[in-house]
Amino acid sequence: MILLKEGNLRIPRWNRKVFAVAGGLVNYKKFCSEMKLEEQVMVAFRQMLEQNNLKMSPVEVKGLINFIAAGNFADHFQDQLLCEAKVTDYLGLDPMYDIGIKTGGATGGSSILTAAMAIASGYADVALAVGWERMSEVDTRTGNYYISTAACKDFETRLGRVYSSYYAPMAVRFSEMYGLSEQTRAKVAVKNHLYGYYSPYAQQPGKYTVEEVLASPMATYPLRFLECCAMTDGAACMLLCDEKTAYKLSDRPVEVFIAGGSHTLRVADRRDMPIPLLPNEDPGLYDGMRKKAGARWPGFESFAACRFAAYFAYHMAGIKDPLEELDVLETHDAFTISDIQTYGDIGVRPYGREAEFIESGDAYFGGKLPSNLSGGLIGTMHAVGATGIFSGVECLWQIQGKYDQFHGDPKIWKSFGKEKPQDWKSLQVPNAKQAAWVSHAGVGSHVTVGVLRKAF
Amino acid sequence: MLEELKTKYTGTPLEIMQDDEALVVYTPRSGVHRHTYGKLSPFFRALKKGQLLATKCVNPECPEKRMWLPPRADCPDCNQPMEWQEIPQPIIGTIHTFAQVVYPGAGIELKAPYYQIDVELPGVCTIFKGYLASGTAKIGMKVKAAFNTKKPSNTILDIYWEPVK
Repeated sequence: MILLKEGNLRIPRWNRKVFAVAGGLVNYKKFCSEMKLEEQVMVAFRQMLEQNNLKMSPVEVKGLINFIAAGNFADHFQDQLLCEAKVTDYLGLDPMYDIGIKTGGATGGSSILTAAMAIASGYADVALAVGWERMSEVDTRTGNYYISTAACKDFETRLGRVYSSYYAPMAVRFSEMYGLSEQTRAKVAVKNHLYGYYSPYAQQPGKYTVEEVLASPMATYPLRFLECCAMTDGAACMLLCDEKTAYKLSDRPVEVFIAGGSHTLRVADRRDMPIPLLPNEDPGLYDGMRKKAGARWPGFESFAACRFAAYFAYHMAGIKDPLEELDVLETHDAFTISDIQTYGDIGVRPYGREAEFIESGDAYFGGKLPSNLSGGLIGTMHAVGATGIFSGVECLWQIQGKYDQFHGDPKIWKSFGKEKPQDWKSLQVPNAKQAAWVSHAGVGSHVTVGVLRKAF
Repeated sequence: MLEELKTKYTGTPLEIMQDDEALVVYTPRSGVHRHTYGKLSPFFRALKKGQLLATKCVNPECPEKRMWLPPRADCPDCNQPMEWQEIPQPIIGTIHTFAQVVYPGAGIELKAPYYQIDVELPGVCTIFKGYLASGTAKIGMKVKAAFNTKKPSNTILDIYWEPVK
């Protein structure tokens, strides 16, 4: 599809409002041998029910749930088909219907979208979005191969068998077209590892310098290991509900908008197309963009799926200028480069000027739109099916003013066998009212963008 | 009446990986898939003969009528079957972008490190991924297609690229 028609561009709308009230995460780590997958999901589910200041008991809240959107990316890892049934049973939610959701790295976002649609349509008043992945059930190189079957198996997989090899060409091309330096990429890694340092959930916390990132071993040139996300065993969940139930359950409900976009599995098949403009972009903004030889949009530089998801989500939520109106952002930083690419897609900078979002300081705590205060995928986790839920939950807690409650409590650190750092600091954004998060699959094959708005 | 049965364990005991807080075992899993190249079979057969085939939409009503490489049997713009078209030799393309694969995943069939390249070809609406068999990759560099016709792998690795001298 190159030229989109009116029907394609219809803005999604809920038939009734959708809210999020609670979330749960786990201690993200490599090879969680002490727990099976459903046992790990239980940890996230318990946190959601018990630690989110809900005004009903866990058993009463469970009695309200009548739909489950259950995300996991790759059956290869778990080697267990229909794990959804095991999880739903294990959480004690039988015989409520669970739909398994699979959209690669966007599985978490798609699970929340599915749960939100259940609420918006009236199918359910209270729905659970839950996701997980167990990536350490095979060794790392085999895991890399499994993930690379999410590139085209006939034309791409054999040329790398590791996902960094499908993002590295984007990094090379992006740098050529927009003059991105490797130092700017490294700054994203430094930032997200550092924010992971303040999170008890983080798998890859660290205080690194730009030099250390650039000196770390190469995964696929030009991407270094410290620029790549973790491979994680983990789970996450979020509780969604209708307006009436939201206020019954919580003093701090948050309104939810979310939409998605898809694009070719093979990046190289992405033909040139007109750029759909976001509300903050003027017609003519990109007129000069195609002057360089071989220039095309989205090409290897950008993600049309992400742009469309943002286009739909911003219109749904009535956002006119994301940089001005959002207070918190969680992106899908699987690689430093994909994080930077996303800044253009979601309009926090125009295409071609993505690096400014980092270089200006906007993306940092204390900046205009702090990004990945959770530590993101580079610092904290990428248990694929859980990731988009994790990012959403971190945004939810920011808007609820609960960053400290969920990151600063020494008891949480201790329960994970960790010590809260002496120099821990709060990354709570003061008076956060609106957040956005991105859940992203493949090399941009599926992307959801969600917006959370304070409703208390 | 069903007969009385005696049942014996006939499996191979699982090897223990760790036995501390939790008992962890290795569960071997191997399997061979039957993967068809389907309507793209002519493309993979042609590689073994040193030819590169693309598909072209010839439907007069198609708004785009593009040529595709990687090929696809049916046009996504008009949903009609496309026709095969051989890319004339010598096949010269331009490197659109590239990567140097240093840490490939399990089962890699190329000796790492190597350059994975994305090649622009005249008249083709898409970009074609492959590998550079020698030299140093650079954006804008001209490359020429070569084929593994002697001992074909029956995979996409039967085509590769060499720098144009």
